[in-house]
Amino acid sequence: MSRISLAGAAFALALAAQFGFAPQAAMAQQAPKPGELTEAAFTAQTCALCHGTPSQTPPTMPLIYGSNADQLYTTLLDLKANRRPSTIMGRIARGFTDDQLKAVADYLARY
Amino acid sequence: MTHFTRRGLLGAGAAAATLLGMPNIARAAGGRVVIVGGGFGGATAARYLKLFDPSIEVTLVERDATYVTCPFSNYVLGGIRDLNSITHRRDPLRQRWGVRLVRGEARAIDVSRKSLRLADGVALPYDKLVVAPGIELKYEGVPGYSEKAADRVPHAWKAGAQTALLRRQLEAMPDGGVVIVAPPANPFRCPPGPYERVSMIAWYLKNHKPKSKILILDAKDAFSKQGLFQAGWESQYPGLITWLAGKDGGKVEEIDVANMTIKAGFGNEKAAVINLIPPQTAGRIAVDAGLTEANGWAAVDPISFASRKAADVYVIGDASIAGAMPKSGSAANSQAKVVAAHISATLNGKAPPPAVFHNTCYSLVTPDYGISVTGTYRPGPNGVAEVPNSGGVSPAQANADFRKQEALHTEGWYAGIIADALG
Ligand SMILES: Cc1cc2nc3c(=O)[nH]c(=O)nc-3n(C[C@H](O)[C@H](O)[C@H](O)COP(=O)(O)OP(=O)(O)OC[C@H]3O[C@@H](n4cnc5c(N)ncnc54)[C@H](O)[C@@H]3O)c2cc1C
Ligand code: HEC
Repeated sequence: MSRISLAGAAFALALAAQFGFAPQAAMAQQAPKPGELTEAAFTAQTCALCHGTPSQTPPTMPLIYGSNADQLYTTLLDLKANRRPSTIMGRIARGFTDDQLKAVADYLARY
Repeated sequence: MTHFTRRGLLGAGAAAATLLGMPNIARAAGGRVVIVGGGFGGATAARYLKLFDPSIEVTLVERDATYVTCPFSNYVLGGIRDLNSITHRRDPLRQRWGVRLVRGEARAIDVSRKSLRLADGVALPYDKLVVAPGIELKYEGVPGYSEKAADRVPHAWKAGAQTALLRRQLEAMPDGGVVIVAPPANPFRCPPGPYERVSMIAWYLKNHKPKSKILILDAKDAFSKQGLFQAGWESQYPGLITWLAGKDGGKVEEIDVANMTIKAGFGNEKAAVINLIPPQTAGRIAVDAGLTEANGWAAVDPISFASRKAADVYVIGDASIAGAMPKSGSAANSQAKVVAAHISATLNGKAPPPAVFHNTCYSLVTPDYGISVTGTYRPGPNGVAEVPNSGGVSPAQANADFRKQEALHTEGWYAGIIADALG
């Protein structure tokens, strides 16, 4: 998985240093605003429980933000079908249709 | 951490929006949202309201200075965590997100004037009110039990002093003693919680008092992750744990606290330590404000978690009737996001996104042996329903490495939910 989104986080931190505000304020601006809260954008917020945010992913968890959308979608389909082994993610992926997973993958890739 | 001024926050938003290539649209004033309770439900709602729309004025009312989480309190009993490590401050909600924190006890809701009254007389007007008070213990649900009796026979179903008391009792009991754990009938806070607790007490006894036994006197005939727990107990703690189902005489009929004796369907049992988990209702404010049904829990619209009883009031977390979702921290966190999306969209005259809910409950059988249950849920005609053919429990057959990975993810989940609610 690419760590491209880290550049965004570093950017936010640099901003924070420059303007003297907390990086979270910048991160907050990446969150979907009411008019942008599509189904996929909202679904992605539920993933944050375990996967954290682009700048703060827990050390035990894979980074899902900012990777290639097609690759992310393929991974999710593989998890869903148990082609890719997982402890829990297959069970979670089976809660979504392929279209829903595609939309979430596209959304997460934008980070 | 820098303290925000209003100006600082808006300035930051404008700078970031421009630099991240988003249109920098001036925003209309957002409205006032008041939240009762700063647990997983209320804290997540506050944080996500600010995340979705920083212009909303968010006020969080909470009676306690710190949040001692029930999740991981069983690990304090097992001796693998201390209370400090599960005690959290709510300051980041103010410092990072601009949530107004009010320390106090919410007493009454004036639905027609749209105002929340606190015990000290202060009135907080709202456009939308989120009620997330967790549970109240129904001590009188077990004859002989009372709030006072909990000083001798802890429930430890609200973490903190009760957790410490139960831990001290386990440390003080003789090797060879009997520990009784008595879970209530459904519904109650954290369905797998009593059985994870039994596992953690077993972990402590096995390592420190190996002649001791645990007796589970259950009001129920089945329990959450039962097959996984029982297989785990058999392999990790052979002979240490006995579970007595309600139908086999396990249901507690009465407790004699002075003599540390429980009367159950099968007869009387004396114990060195008793952990009695009484039945529960929604937190008192929800009951007093008339938000609850005859069963003690608050009915809500599964699409938005809006109260069925009062306009512009939402009830989330343990206090709500959430259909197929269990009363868990993960569930409260997920419901809070749906409510935050619904309120921020509504206040901005936009359509809210379709609701989707998530729950995961990890439990440890030993520090290196984790199991889980997870689910994705959507609103249905009969309340929140689980998406068919998804979710479920960890596989019955799995090697030690798999169980160990889930134990690691248990830690990851905790770090994640603390950051997601309070970070
Ligand atoms: C032993 C145990 C283990 C658990 N383990 C897990 C786990 O591993 N995973 C999981 O997901 N869940 C777990 N849970 C369940 C979890 O703790 C609850 O489901 C969760 O805390 C519910 O969140 P809530 O916001 O509804 O209520 P709470 O967390 O109880 O928060 C309610 C808050 O409101 C405040 N409050 C109440 N009334 C008022 C008032 N009138 N005025 C001001 N403040 C008020 C309270 O002080 C409290 O801070 C466990 C529970 C127990 C008992
Ligand atoms: C309960 C915690 C939890 C939630 C919620 C969760 N995940 Fe995961 N996810 C995991 C874990 C743990 C793994 C590692 C694989 C495993 O053991 O299941 C993982 C793995 C993944 C992977 C594979 C990454 C890789 O490089 O292998 C993707 C993609 C993913 N998750 C996406 C998502 C999306 C999208 C959501 C929200 C719809 C989500 N996850 C919600 C726990 C979670």
